[in-house]
Amino acid sequence: MIALQTNTFEFWAKYFPQLLAGLGVSLQLTALALLFGLPLGLLLALGTEAKLRAVRWLSVAVVEVGRGAPALVVLYVVYFGLPLLSWSPEAFICAVIGLTYTTAAYTSEYLRGGLKAVNPGSVEAAHALAMTSGDVLRFVVIPQGLRVAVPALMGFAIQIFQATSLAYSITVSELTANASGIASSSFRALEIFALAGLMYAAITVPTSWLTNKVEERLTLRQ
Amino acid sequence: MADTVPPGRYSGKRDIRTDAVNYAIELGAIEKTFAGHQVLKKVSLRVKQGEVCSIIGPSGAGKSTLLRCVNLLEQPDGGNMVVAGQYLAAGRSHPRRELLQLRRNVGMVFQSFNLFPHLTVLENIVLPQRRVLKLSAEEARERGAELLKRVGLAEKADAYPAKISGGQQQRVAIARALALEPKVMLFDEPTSALDPELAQEVLAVMKEVAASGMTMLVVTHEMGFARTIGDHLVVMEDGAIIEQGVPEEVMTNPSEERTRKFLSAVNR
Ligand SMILES: Nc1ncnc2c1ncn2[C@@H]1O[C@H](COP(=O)(O)OP(=O)(O)OP(=O)(O)O)[C@@H](O)[C@H]1O
Ligand SMILES: [Mg+2]
Repeated sequence: MIALQTNTFEFWAKYFPQLLAGLGVSLQLTALALLFGLPLGLLLALGTEAKLRAVRWLSVAVVEVGRGAPALVVLYVVYFGLPLLSWSPEAFICAVIGLTYTTAAYTSEYLRGGLKAVNPGSVEAAHALAMTSGDVLRFVVIPQGLRVAVPALMGFAIQIFQATSLAYSITVSELTANASGIASSSFRALEIFALAGLMYAAITVPTSWLTNKVEERLTLRQ
Repeated sequence: MADTVPPGRYSGKRDIRTDAVNYAIELGAIEKTFAGHQVLKKVSLRVKQGEVCSIIGPSGAGKSTLLRCVNLLEQPDGGNMVVAGQYLAAGRSHPRRELLQLRRNVGMVFQSFNLFPHLTVLENIVLPQRRVLKLSAEEARERGAELLKRVGLAEKADAYPAKISGGQQQRVAIARALALEPKVMLFDEPTSALDPELAQEVLAVMKEVAASGMTMLVVTHEMGFARTIGDHLVVMEDGAIIEQGVPEEVMTNPSEERTRKFLSAVNR
């Protein structure tokens, strides 16, 4: 039976462009989720430490719901929920919104940890140097906190990249969705998913390696 | 000496002084309580323009708290003060403008140096100049380089704080504070975290700053510094000033038994 088919490499070569297009979509989802999710995560991190109790509670609630709900459930809620608010964006936009929320909720925890690790003496010195509270936050607290959080954030970036495959379930044509489509039309699921897996790995493995390098660099400087 | 600073001398605009007496710091009956424990008990103190005033005393006496009240890192609960011509009364929250004005005039050097660890030595000195004095990057770097030369660290400009010695970090911290051209400098045990050798480099820089005419309030255990560089010596214990005067006299002939005990414990 195998003999009737083209060999694996020919099969891969034929469908590679289609998977590559899917990978492009996965990377776009990742980039947009991080682009919007990280600043929101920072706001939430600051919000959970805010002086106003209402702000603190609201931030904690937003974070806990985002971390408590599986990313897939968040995607479904966005996808099926937004039309009820009489806004029906395309699936890709829904995926960006859902993944952004998940990103914001998770990264806020890493960022909060980073902010907590900021050397309090340097913050006090900044105040003593007549810097405004806004400047102290911007030039002393956030840069130090970010540095501490960078390895964890890079690790999370890898996870959210993998989680973009969930967008398949709300009909976004990303890498897993395309692989699945090819699998059902060609009946060669194992081979096509193996290729898809290799393509995911081509992104995640170097990124993990880079994360380790960055972590080493940052530890050296301390 | 438990009186508040008389407010009569500050007519019109409240924070502009009108009399001729040149005190850089006047503390009037400053009080501070932490969780029911009174750490400062109506402390009054005057430091003349250009004077170096050293504060000594046992651990827990309230020396750091007093210093931190001067630049309002700690809010006093009672009393008032005039610092670099600015009148401030306790018991009310200070508007931001007032707080920033005070801190621009008052530099502070901490026991633990407190440099910005994510910035190079030069950047540490550039940042407050850029943000507080609103200088251009070029000008701030130029002045920063000059200050580094002044504290003998021109070649360390691009090093990160973690890569230089404690003595060098403290000298950078002094340069950083001087960059804002303060009228008063506070030092909270600037050499306590340092080996004697490194402490000497820092003391040499402080001596130079004192010689330049800076008003300095220095909490220290360095009796040599207090004796030779200091103009005035204050002994604190249990939240109060128990004795003060010319350093040489207080050290050789203290009038208080508690001062005698403290001095013999330090000199041992
Ligand atoms: N933020 C704070 N909260 C509660 N108590 C404090 C605080 N800061 C200082 N204290 C207490 O106030 C007292 C005086 O502290 P302070 O640091 O001013 O003493 P000090 O004379 O500087 O001592 P040392 O020589 O150990 O530095 C101590 O009993 C200390 O525990
Ligand atoms: Mg102290």
